[in-house]
Amino acid sequence: MINILGAYATKFGELWNISPRALAKEVMENALKSFGLKASQIDALFVGNMLSGILGNQTNLGSLVAEELGVQIPAFRIEGACASGGLALHNAINSLKAGQYKTVLVLGIEKMTDHSQDEITTALMAAGSDEERMAGSTFPGVYALMAQAYMRKYSVSEEDLAAVSVKNHYHGSLNPKAQFQSPITIADVMKSSKIADPLKLLDCSPISDGAAAVVITSENTIRKVKKPIQIVASEVATDTLSLHDRKSFTSLSAVVEASGKAYRKAGIKSGDIDVAEIHDCFSISEAIATEDLGFSEKGHGAKDIAQGRRTLSNGDIICNPSGGLKACGHPVGATGIKQIVEITEQLRGEAGKKQVKGAKIGLTHNVGGSGTVAVIHILQN
Amino acid sequence: MITSPVKLWRRQKNTASLIGKKGEILQWTIIRVPAKSFMDQAPYPVVIVKMENGENMIGQLVDWQEKDLMIGKEVISVLRLLRTEPKEDIIYYNIKFKPL
Repeated sequence: MINILGAYATKFGELWNISPRALAKEVMENALKSFGLKASQIDALFVGNMLSGILGNQTNLGSLVAEELGVQIPAFRIEGACASGGLALHNAINSLKAGQYKTVLVLGIEKMTDHSQDEITTALMAAGSDEERMAGSTFPGVYALMAQAYMRKYSVSEEDLAAVSVKNHYHGSLNPKAQFQSPITIADVMKSSKIADPLKLLDCSPISDGAAAVVITSENTIRKVKKPIQIVASEVATDTLSLHDRKSFTSLSAVVEASGKAYRKAGIKSGDIDVAEIHDCFSISEAIATEDLGFSEKGHGAKDIAQGRRTLSNGDIICNPSGGLKACGHPVGATGIKQIVEITEQLRGEAGKKQVKGAKIGLTHNVGGSGTVAVIHILQN
Repeated sequence: MITSPVKLWRRQKNTASLIGKKGEILQWTIIRVPAKSFMDQAPYPVVIVKMENGENMIGQLVDWQEKDLMIGKEVISVLRLLRTEPKEDIIYYNIKFKPL
């Protein structure tokens, strides 16, 4: 049994006044403090990060964060593009299940806004394939190809996709830690500048700084957990690096595979989920994700979102109460852990204005590359 | 950015065999915010092409007009200058697609 103890996320956004080291220290100390824990109770550290080597010429992050926490315990850096955070947690859980450690801290961290947009665009393509880079493609480009295929196959309009961003900005407006806290309209999305047709600026998640951390344990003896949150499934699947090598451009098979396994492990159906944090790196991503996860029928994901079925207070399965990647922000390595922090707060009933009433079962959907790696976690209170 | 001649040689070994092959556009997009080394070419289309041998390839579309951007449009693979390299780097040629 894996229990979540501490959980904390920093504000996401342009954190120009704080260094990556200071950010790591802040998030680890606050995650410990949130549950009254001390650094000496942690057996190992797992760090999810994608870009520190490319952008900052700093790898060896395990030791770096251990140094910041003032400990000399085993520490590991895990990378899987934008799913680095989720993958770090998966590996941390495996280490607990193996009995190697009893209590570990997992953090996700990324510092992106110190760099120019074209540097970031180039750096993020490290998650793609050589063929895609040589074709001059970008991540918005790869997802735009999916959007074209999806819109054509299911007669979905750009306005339907825009509804994803509108919903997530509304949720972001309820989250004091979100990068964007202002609601937007369909018209705002439609008139924003084009990035890769049909995706426009407001279809895309932003470049962000931020960090998130959780402390997980396999022990029940640390102390009586007042509001225990269990991780009941942690599953990973992979796929080809290139989008064009896949059979389908309108479904991510890694997500179907990982979520299918996760539902079986947890002994639940997709319809049992009350709240989910979805990897909406682009509006199209959330539309497809809600179908691959079984929340919506094929071709209905975007329309269901447009009709409010994923929106706080009137939806059936609420998606991205944090504002998602679009509004809360997307510091790539931190995202997978921020999703866990959000679902933990939701299941503890501590999510404030963005609380999903009576949430009992939550899911996180963390994706790297164009669906080359998917990490699904299911949490229960 | 590739600067090693041996790396480039390894990558370009098969390029010649890919020239002059036909296929049709399966999906397209227009990249308006590119990576650094493609800045001076933007906006440009990137297409997934279904080749006659059944394989899919991804590449830039060159010599294009708005009307060429449609699914099913026939294209042919051509050898083109890939992108702008810093002054002293090796000039890199790669497969791109041209509408037929």
